[in-house]
Amino acid sequence: MPPESSIESHHFESLGTSCSVFAVGQSHELLIEAEFWVRRLGARLTRFSADSELSRLNRDTGDWVPISAELQAISRAAFRADEMSAGLVNVAVLPSMHAVGYTRPFTEGPGVATLEDLRPLPPLADVLELREGEARLQAGCGVDLGGIAKGWMADRLSATLGADVVVNLGGDLFARGSGPRGDGWPVGLGGSTLLLRDQGAATSSVRRRRWGEMHHLIDPRTGLPAKTGLEEVSVVAASGFEAEVVAKTALLLGPDLAPAYCAAHAMAWWLSDGHDD
Amino acid sequence: MRIFLLKTAATVLTMCTTVASAMFVTSHLKNPTAPLQPPVLTAGTVSSSAALGGTLTVGPSVQPSNAEPMTSTYAS
Repeated sequence: MPPESSIESHHFESLGTSCSVFAVGQSHELLIEAEFWVRRLGARLTRFSADSELSRLNRDTGDWVPISAELQAISRAAFRADEMSAGLVNVAVLPSMHAVGYTRPFTEGPGVATLEDLRPLPPLADVLELREGEARLQAGCGVDLGGIAKGWMADRLSATLGADVVVNLGGDLFARGSGPRGDGWPVGLGGSTLLLRDQGAATSSVRRRRWGEMHHLIDPRTGLPAKTGLEEVSVVAASGFEAEVVAKTALLLGPDLAPAYCAAHAMAWWLSDGHDD
Repeated sequence: MRIFLLKTAATVLTMCTTVASAMFVTSHLKNPTAPLQPPVLTAGTVSSSAALGGTLTVGPSVQPSNAEPMTSTYAS
């Protein structure tokens, strides 16, 4: 077995979750810079701060709003997610999030649910328009970039940190390079360890961010929290962004269709219906 | 007479083309190891196992390991 290269690591809380960065042959200072990058971009993309760039877009509906290159890129990724999932991963989910009571950071507890407002989500292309440097949302609509942004950020950050790194932003991760032993980065998924090289992983679940009968994963076909028979899906795919999209789509498809979807779009997958058998 | 010859020639040409096409197709079967096949075609090489209250399926491009994971994907 080849000798293990020394790994620099850094852990921090951001994006409402735990984040980790691991790198071979990089300085700790670089990883701290990575934390600041995550914090800065996270502050611009959160829907929980009235001053954020995303909140401005959600507030000024009906008008063309200037957006940064990063928000533009993530919005384009959201359209790609919409296409990959045949509309099941739809970032225009904010009205439903508010209706189920997810109006503030989960650590502050749920808000008041107003379920009578729930309805199927409109197609993303009907509510969000993009042009160079600007975006426009239809009145009454809103976007929550959620896991899409985390997956995209993990991919983007790993590309700037070096050739041999792992960026894990709340479970959405990308492993670049061949890792400390040269055979891949050991990443936990579904209770097992998999060696990832230039691959992403993500988990979608209805077990976390849950209150009463409600949870945060909205099924765009109903506008309600998803109930498909699957409780948690973890996926390895070509990037953190793709893993996030595939995991969420599989969970929303349910136990009958998820295996075939994962077979077509993922490199490894773990499907859990919550039963031990 | 000229029309009859033309019809005969067209018929012979059609039959020859059909036979040649059939021979070509049967001698060029799909190569399952050809590149750029969609991943679903390799589903037969995946391994599945029960793990932690679910089913883990691993494709050929991912290698399982007994090592301790450095980090994990999880729901947040």
